[in-house]
Parts: sequence; C-alpha cells; structure tokens
Amino acid sequence: MKDPLPFDHRPDMVLGDALRQALDPGEEGHAAFIARVLARAEQVRVMSWDAVLARWARTGVAAALVVALAAGYFVGRATAPPTTVRPTVPDVLLAPPAHPGEVEVVLASVIENN
Amino acid sequence: MADLPPQPARQVARIPQQDEADLVARAVAGDRAAFGLLVERYAGVARRVARAVLGNSEDADDAAQDAMLSALVKLEQYDARRPFGPWLLRIVANAATDRRRRRSVRRVEPLDVGLTAGGPRPDTTAERRALNERLRQALAELPERRRMAVVLFDVEGYSHGEIALILGIPEGTVRSEVFHARRRLRVLLVDWKEEG
Repeated sequence: MKDPLPFDHRPDMVLGDALRQALDPGEEGHAAFIARVLARAEQVRVMSWDAVLARWARTGVAAALVVALAAGYFVGRATAPPTTVRPTVPDVLLAPPAHPGEVEVVLASVIENN
Repeated sequence: MADLPPQPARQVARIPQQDEADLVARAVAGDRAAFGLLVERYAGVARRVARAVLGNSEDADDAAQDAMLSALVKLEQYDARRPFGPWLLRIVANAATDRRRRRSVRRVEPLDVGLTAGGPRPDTTAERRALNERLRQALAELPERRRMAVVLFDVEGYSHGEIALILGIPEGTVRSEVFHARRRLRVLLVDWKEEG
C-alpha cells in the first residue's frame, strides 16, 4: 500500500464511507434524537423566558424601592415644620456680641496673664 | 499490498450560507420550525463527530444533544457572515471532549493483532458489523484531535481550513493529523480488501 501524500487535499471516499458506516447510529435513532433535542429545546426556551422575567422582576423591585425612597424623602421634606436655622461658627464669631462687656473682660484677663 | 482505487473528490451537499443565516435569524426570533430544520440538517454530523470522540453511542448522543441546546442558547452570538456548520461543530467537539473528561475514562485495550491483520471480507451483516467495530476500535486508539480531524475531513467533507476553525488549531496541523490518522486506518481497510 502506498502511503497517502501528506498534503492530499481530497477526501478519501473509501475510508470516509467505511468510517461513516462505523460511526452512523442509524436512521431510527436519528428521528428519536431529533425529537428529543426539539423537546428539550422547548424546555430551554421556557427556562430562558423565566430567566428574562426574573431579571425584569429584580430590576422592577429595585426601581420601585428607589422610587419609594425618593418619594418618602420629598414628601417628608414637604410636610416637615420649618426648623430654625442653626448659626454656623463663622456667623457666631462675626456677629456683634450680645453683651459688649464680655470682650473687654476677656481682653483684660489675657493681658493680666501676660 | 493493493492500492486503493482512485478517489474522486467527495461531493458534499452543503447548505447555502445565506439559507443558514436566515434559518438562524428566524430561530433567534423564536421560530421553532427554523431551529428544527437546523437540528435535522446537522444532527447526523453532530452525532458522528461526538461518537468519534466518545466511542459510546449513548454518550455521543447526549453530548450532541447538549451541544445543540447550547448552540440554541448561544445563537445570538453566531456571526452570520461565517458558515454555520463549523460554528456548531466546534460546540459539539467541545461538548464531547468535556463529557469524555468528566466520565470515568475507560482504558482502551490495544487493538487485537489478529483483527488488525485482517479477517474475512464483511459481505454479511455480521461481518460488516465486525469491521465497523474494528474501525471504531482503531479510531479510539488515535489521539482525540486526530480522530476528529479525519472524521471531519473524510466523512463529513469539511476542508482543512474549516476543520482548523472547528478544532481551533492551525491548518497545517489539521493536514498532519489527517495524514497520520489515514495511515493508521487505511491499514485496516487494505487488509480487509486483500483478504476479500
């Protein structure tokens, strides 16, 4: 037997047919196989739809939570009584003293300590 | 030893690429009949390739089925500019390989020297079955990639380039794998022919 050429680009009909017969599972099994795959494909479709719906549901719940929190914040803010504005530190320092004598007392005690 | 008869180029019935792309697009859109047509067209080759990897026909059918369902899930990822067959068969080859790795590996007994040396010409069904069994055993002795390469080339009629895509290896390696597989398998066939 001659060895086949390493770069023989043509399929070997004899070997191919022999291998096909050796590997072919037969026509009867073929129909059953197709039916089985198509039946499973239906389940896969249903499962994938369930997954899509579940994904949408999760997104929907998250969006509803955000909306509820935002609504609660705005409603609460609108209905809350007006609160007195708390002065900031610079405001207190720059504001004129309620009792003018306090400044002199503080200055006198600092000078005495020096 | 006698030479094998002249071998004309194998004419493989191919599905037009546009037709496949349309079928895939319809399947992605939920057309069950379109997916059914794809399954019908590729079930044979998928089962044979899986069997070449796994040997056992039940395991091969399970792997081919898993691959087809996996392809259904991944259909949106298929690039319609490329042929569908190699894309699908790559999934089949991977599914079969994964299954073979997962299952407990059975040691393949070395091929019986008596069988390799040839037996009676398989004119009867029983003898044909014996030859098929011998071929499957010989195939099982080959490295997995070599097995797939020779089946895809000589049985399914895919080109070296397409097989390179399916197996994810260089085209030159495909040529080499086919060459070595043929050299081993042709011994069986020639012995059978001479005995006949």
